[in-house]
Amino acid sequence: MVPLEHILVFSAIMFAIGAYGVMARRNAVLVFMAVELMLNAVAINLVAFAARVDPQRFSGLVFTIFVITVAAAELGLGLAIVLRVYRMRTSVNVDEIDALRW
Amino acid sequence: MSFDVSRLDYGLVTPLLVLLGLVFLAWLLDLMLPERHKSAIGWVSVAGLVVCIATAVPLWGVRADFAGVIRIDEFSVFFTVLFLLTAIGIMLISMEYANRFLPQSGEYYGLVLAGTLGMILMGAANELLTAYLALELLSFSSYVLVSYAKTNLKSNEAGLKYIILGAFSSSLLLYGISLLYGTLGTTYLPDIARSVERLGVGQPAFGVGLSLILAGLGFKIAAVPFHMWTPDVYEGAPTPITAYLSVASKAAGFALVMRFLIGGLLPLRDQYQALFALLAVLTMTLGNLVAIQQRNVKRLLAYSSIAQAGYVLVGLAAITADVAIAQQAVRGMMLHLAGYVFTNLACFGAFIAFQNLNNGREMVADLAGLARRAPFVALTMMSGLFSLAGMPLFAGFVTKFYLFAAAARAELLWLVAIAVINSTISLYYYLLVVYQMYVRTPPGFEAAELDGHGHAVLATVSPAPSLAVAGAVPSLAAAPGGGTVSLSEGGPGTAAGTHNGYGRLGPDGHATHADAAIGHVPADTTGGHGLPGAHGDLGTHAGGPDVPWWRRSITGDMAPERMFPQYRIPFATTAGLTLFLAGIFFLGLWPAPAIDVLQAASQALFAG
Repeated sequence: MVPLEHILVFSAIMFAIGAYGVMARRNAVLVFMAVELMLNAVAINLVAFAARVDPQRFSGLVFTIFVITVAAAELGLGLAIVLRVYRMRTSVNVDEIDALRW
Repeated sequence: MSFDVSRLDYGLVTPLLVLLGLVFLAWLLDLMLPERHKSAIGWVSVAGLVVCIATAVPLWGVRADFAGVIRIDEFSVFFTVLFLLTAIGIMLISMEYANRFLPQSGEYYGLVLAGTLGMILMGAANELLTAYLALELLSFSSYVLVSYAKTNLKSNEAGLKYIILGAFSSSLLLYGISLLYGTLGTTYLPDIARSVERLGVGQPAFGVGLSLILAGLGFKIAAVPFHMWTPDVYEGAPTPITAYLSVASKAAGFALVMRFLIGGLLPLRDQYQALFALLAVLTMTLGNLVAIQQRNVKRLLAYSSIAQAGYVLVGLAAITADVAIAQQAVRGMMLHLAGYVFTNLACFGAFIAFQNLNNGREMVADLAGLARRAPFVALTMMSGLFSLAGMPLFAGFVTKFYLFAAAARAELLWLVAIAVINSTISLYYYLLVVYQMYVRTPPGFEAAELDGHGHAVLATVSPAPSLAVAGAVPSLAAAPGGGTVSLSEGGPGTAAGTHNGYGRLGPDGHATHADAAIGHVPADTTGGHGLPGAHGDLGTHAGGPDVPWWRRSITGDMAPERMFPQYRIPFATTAGLTLFLAGIFFLGLWPAPAIDVLQAASQALFAG
């Protein structure tokens, strides 16, 4: 049986890679992929905890199903918006999206 | 925590079910109605929301769980009614705007309602998965609504920025929840409270998880340093949605934060008190200082809303071991949020009414002379801005006073001092807007003065809102820089004009160009009402019998030779603005009933 720590370290690394991707990637589609990576890390965490910490109930597993569903919906919505920006700008580079200035 | 499906009490969630039905009804109507009648969906929604409120109010006094995940108590009923009222207000101020600026405006109303459902659930969540889903329901509706103006590049970019940062923040929140679940073995808030009491905060994973959850929620309430999306999204979004995000989404975020921290993590209050004090200082200071430099009204109100979140955070910092003080802090936060909802909606509602007739203009300078072009709109906006600044007589003063009093009782005097200094700073940029509206001359009107046309059409501050104006005079006089503004209260003779030809309206509600040969009306017939600080001789009887002063609006985009056509502000907008003004002055002048209501709500929150 894989120790819980290994799974947690794995998911933490995955989460960190995702977070790095969100900040470092300039292509909006890749940014969304990085967000997916973060959400998948969450799903791994939840499944691992459901098996080890909370074996009588399904809370973690149910949570995982919802996380996956919501992540899919979020990605769909995000790509729709990316598509519309692309039609107006012919670019999905988040650095060039500058009609709004801080 | 287990429950029997056959014994669920659906009576507890009637308002949610009615609202859900309304969401689908709105989308169904969208399929059936032709494009020019879409605002009928708005009216159906308003009616449905009133029904929702009628089903929510009887739940007052009930304290029960629905399936263990939705907590119905005075706290959630309070926020339910507040969010439903907000949604009504948003509907009222949206209709005209949606007709003018949003293509295919049908789904718009359903999305606002769906977001409202999410907000209500955020205030009632008793379990972290429910809280997360409620938050996403609100967020998804907001993502779509922010980018609703399809052909507008700014709107689309704002939507993209919002969804990227929103998705990022919700994954932080989720990772935090997963760590919390891993260390405590439960996602139910009452169980979390028990586990925390038993286990303490020994495990580092718990601390990391909690920090991530607070960061994720910090994005929702736009607390510094998680505020950076706010100005861009607020500027790019359609203005009614900016209003929606800035009031309702923020209030819902705070409702969830209160549920989570007090329902689940009350034993840890000593740990997070200092953190919230720090966040409060950062949030209100940065919000106010950056707001000073803004020239765009939406961005200005965005930074002002960041600052307002800072004031509410003062309340979170004041949650101490003493339950009486902690409850007062919670009441203060709820009261401030309620006042803030009406106040900010008044500002935005007035600004939307302005934009409707001025081609969607959004710079502060565009508001020049609004008091004479659209007196009621300017009056509403001024009341809202003064209330945001915390002037006496307006809601903002009472709510801030109550909130800061709680913080003072919690021995956070230094924090109260910083908050009060910040309120004073904020007065400056609010007054800049008031200055534009009440002192500056409307563009094009200077030329009108020269050729004598302006005298007949320039509006004035009418006598009816004497309460508000009377309140504004001492407040302005006391304010730094306010000496240049001098409002005089109009007497009953103001509406002297009867022989004015500009008030005639065509069947579509737009003014027909009336006879140009309006006689020169001597200024002294007005008795010096209106705005003597600027051009008192101009203020006289626009309108006439057809357009009452509170529905009058003169567009600023028209050249003087086109005779400043007047428009009738639509009934929905007028009704919305009146509702917000009523809220502001109700809370500002007679807060006692609201505080009584909050008494029960704050006790319910602590009863868990």
